[in-house]
Amino acid sequence: MSATTLAWIVLAAPMAGLFYNLIVGSSVSRKHATWAACASVLVSFAAAVGVLIALLQRSPDDRQLVSTGWTWLSGGQLHEGFSILVDPLSAVMLLVVSGVGFLIHAYSVGYMHGDREEKRFFAYLNLFVFSMLLLVLAGNFLILLIGWGLVGLSSYLLIGYWWERPAAVQAAKKAFVMNAIGDVGIALALFLLWGHTHSLDVLGTFSAVDSLPGSTTTWIAGLLLVGAIAKSAQLPLHTWLPDAMEGPTPVSALIHAATMVTAGVYLVARCWPIFRAAPEVSDLTALIGVATLTMAGLIALVQTDIKRVIAYSTMSQIGYMFCAVGIGATSAGMFHLVTHAFFKALLFLGAGVVIHALADEQDIRKMGGLGRYLPYTRTLMWIGALALAGVPPFAGFFSKDQILAAGLARADWVGYLVFGFGLAGAFVTALYTFRMIFIVFHGEPTSFARTHAEKHAGHGEGPFSMIWTISVLALGAVTIGFLELPGVSHAMRTFLEPVAPNALEASTSQETLASLLAVSLGVIGIGAAWLLYGRRSDAPRKVAEQTAPLESVLQRKLGFDELYDWAFHRPAVALARGGARAWEGPVVTGSMDLVGATGGWLSRVLGAGQSGLVRVYALVLALGLAALAAWFMAGAS
Amino acid sequence: MQTVIFYLAGATCLGSALAVVMQRNPFQAALSLILNLFSLAVLFFVLQGDFVGVAQVLVYAGAVMVMFLFVIAYLGDRAHLELRRGGVGSGAAAVVGIAIFLEITISAHRSNGALSAPASVTESFGSPERIGALLLTDHLLAFEVISLLLLVGAIAGVVLGAGNLLPRQEARRPAVERGALFDLARARSELEAGEDMREVLK
Amino acid sequence: MSPGIGSWITLSAALFSIGLAGVMLRRNPLVILLSLEIMLNAGNLLLVAMARYLGNNEGHVLALVVMAVAAAEVVVGLGLIVALARRGSSLDVDDLKGLAG
Repeated sequence: MSATTLAWIVLAAPMAGLFYNLIVGSSVSRKHATWAACASVLVSFAAAVGVLIALLQRSPDDRQLVSTGWTWLSGGQLHEGFSILVDPLSAVMLLVVSGVGFLIHAYSVGYMHGDREEKRFFAYLNLFVFSMLLLVLAGNFLILLIGWGLVGLSSYLLIGYWWERPAAVQAAKKAFVMNAIGDVGIALALFLLWGHTHSLDVLGTFSAVDSLPGSTTTWIAGLLLVGAIAKSAQLPLHTWLPDAMEGPTPVSALIHAATMVTAGVYLVARCWPIFRAAPEVSDLTALIGVATLTMAGLIALVQTDIKRVIAYSTMSQIGYMFCAVGIGATSAGMFHLVTHAFFKALLFLGAGVVIHALADEQDIRKMGGLGRYLPYTRTLMWIGALALAGVPPFAGFFSKDQILAAGLARADWVGYLVFGFGLAGAFVTALYTFRMIFIVFHGEPTSFARTHAEKHAGHGEGPFSMIWTISVLALGAVTIGFLELPGVSHAMRTFLEPVAPNALEASTSQETLASLLAVSLGVIGIGAAWLLYGRRSDAPRKVAEQTAPLESVLQRKLGFDELYDWAFHRPAVALARGGARAWEGPVVTGSMDLVGATGGWLSRVLGAGQSGLVRVYALVLALGLAALAAWFMAGAS
Repeated sequence: MQTVIFYLAGATCLGSALAVVMQRNPFQAALSLILNLFSLAVLFFVLQGDFVGVAQVLVYAGAVMVMFLFVIAYLGDRAHLELRRGGVGSGAAAVVGIAIFLEITISAHRSNGALSAPASVTESFGSPERIGALLLTDHLLAFEVISLLLLVGAIAGVVLGAGNLLPRQEARRPAVERGALFDLARARSELEAGEDMREVLK
Repeated sequence: MSPGIGSWITLSAALFSIGLAGVMLRRNPLVILLSLEIMLNAGNLLLVAMARYLGNNEGHVLALVVMAVAAAEVVVGLGLIVALARRGSSLDVDDLKGLAG
């Protein structure tokens, strides 16, 4: 089968799963519905593998295929079809989304077992996978925007899945509103693009980009960047991601680690011609990445909720990806995206095992010494943490060092910033990651942990579906890195070359330097974490006392939430309340009331004519007579 | 001469009509109406409607008004109750009355001057012979129908005035129990429920 | 009879209006009946006047018919009033609202 046919299958399978769930979900057993949902994503993954194979069979120059389903929107000069673009970049994303998506579906079978509305969860998950695939496969920007919006919708639905919890509902709304800001940015960019090129095809616009004036390209790129920032939770539109942890853990793993938040990186990578033509915006992208990775790493140091540590870690790692695509190392950014998907999902799902074992407790201060009760999970979490910290031979080492090397190769102030802060970030990453590991899994168990874990003793560490899925992810975290072994294979880069080329090549010496520094900083970070947290000494408390003001600032997440509250939320609420009082009450409701009141008044007036009083009837008769006489008089004159 | 009588009789007519409408006491209103009828008779005589004038005095003033006076006398105090003026729509009523008057007079005076003088008639115009001949030849049907109407009226008067026509024992039972004119069971249950009799009669 | 038909029409109209006002304004059924009589008489007056001015006796015939009808109507009306009075109802037209709604 051709690559495009397979791509259509990839897209259709989760949609079919969703509809199946909607139609028959309520009448079949829980097992049937959840397995059907997982199966649809598995079909999608199989088809994605097929797409990859089909693409590899073609020559490298012939790997950009567009397939249009039907003409979808047609009016005036606008003729947009429902078209998908199959090329190496989308193939990579397809594999990541459907593969990790399948694993997380399977994991959820175990994690969400016993929840009241499981089938709804799987329906939402299917919707999300479909939306993300649509986004990735989009052949024109309109479809991309649809996928973008649907992904935001799925995120809202899934964060607020436990809708009886007010915190979850608030978080869902916050995520949706901030994503909406991004949607506006993208829409405006599309308006500009359309206005100047009269085409919304992805490939078509890229060829037209060179003919546009520089300022236009800058604006387009800048607006696209706004969308990317909102979706990927970068500074300054990042505040929704930590709150999004209110959703179930599989959701956090899928959406807020592996796929949705990487959509921004994908967008910048996909639109690299536009960004390459707007160098200031590219530099801005890299700077935002630098700022985010530093800030997020620092905040992660003081988090006490296990999921929030990992969430800030995600924010930080995506900052790395933004740095990469900002300085022109597009395939390096994509490679980091792929490896990050594996080890971040692994970390989240492993945390899910811990949370599941402790009956939904997420505060790490109550955990400790769980390695004794969850040894397998502890091992897998170590693998994930080592990958995150960039220790060879795990995946994160290869991808992160590519980015740092690219920063060196860039050799201007932006590149050096990326390099410097990236290295510092490596230290901080290792520190906070292993802080979490040591607090949760090592040392003496807390009484809380002991009671809960002993309840589970003999039952295994968790449901089988949860265990095998994180094992697969761990395997990926170990092996994926070897796609880009320096000096041996540059599989990812060459594969992506036609569609997401790197603007710069790091020399071997630069790569070696970057790797050495990064690894050593990572190991130092692990050591520092061990010193501070591994042995349950007084050291953390003393350090905390020394840095108390800094810590309080970090704990308030640098005050962004308060800033946004005062700058945007309160004025909006005041405006809404004022509007309701001044407009909606008197005018809208008032006019409705007026309609009703008029009816009542009219009926009262007319009812007076049915009074039963003979005199009134006589009066009415006489009135009629007078009127008739007047009419005749007027007619006769 | 006749103009003078016209104006005099006309004035009396109007004055007594006003008195009828404005008097509180219905007895005095009836008496004012009698005066009105008499002045109208005078006007009929002026118009050479001899027979009609005589009929007016004999039938109208003589019989109908006497009947009125009998009923007023029968009612006695009950007839006289009008404690307040006004009520629903009295302003509108006054306006409508004036409006109709104005409309009629205006349309009358807008005519093109026809009938400015009465037609010339013989001496026997309006005499009993002429009227009788008409009633018994050209308008015989009307004559007979009126007789029937008067018969019906007489029967109606008797029925309405006689009240209970049933044997004395029966007449003592309240009208409800006699099942007069409506659903007995429903009326009984409603009365037992304490409904106002007027509600029951609806 | 030098005044043209116009004066007679005016007089008749005035009587009619007065009677109409009486019907609409008074609440005693007896007085309403009396006012009704005035209206009928106004019509009679006009009939006879027109008969004179047209030289046609048929107006007189109609006037007689009207008189008979008026008499019959008064009989029924007074019978109603007497029946009402015997039943004990109030003789105030504003209170006889059984036909309301």
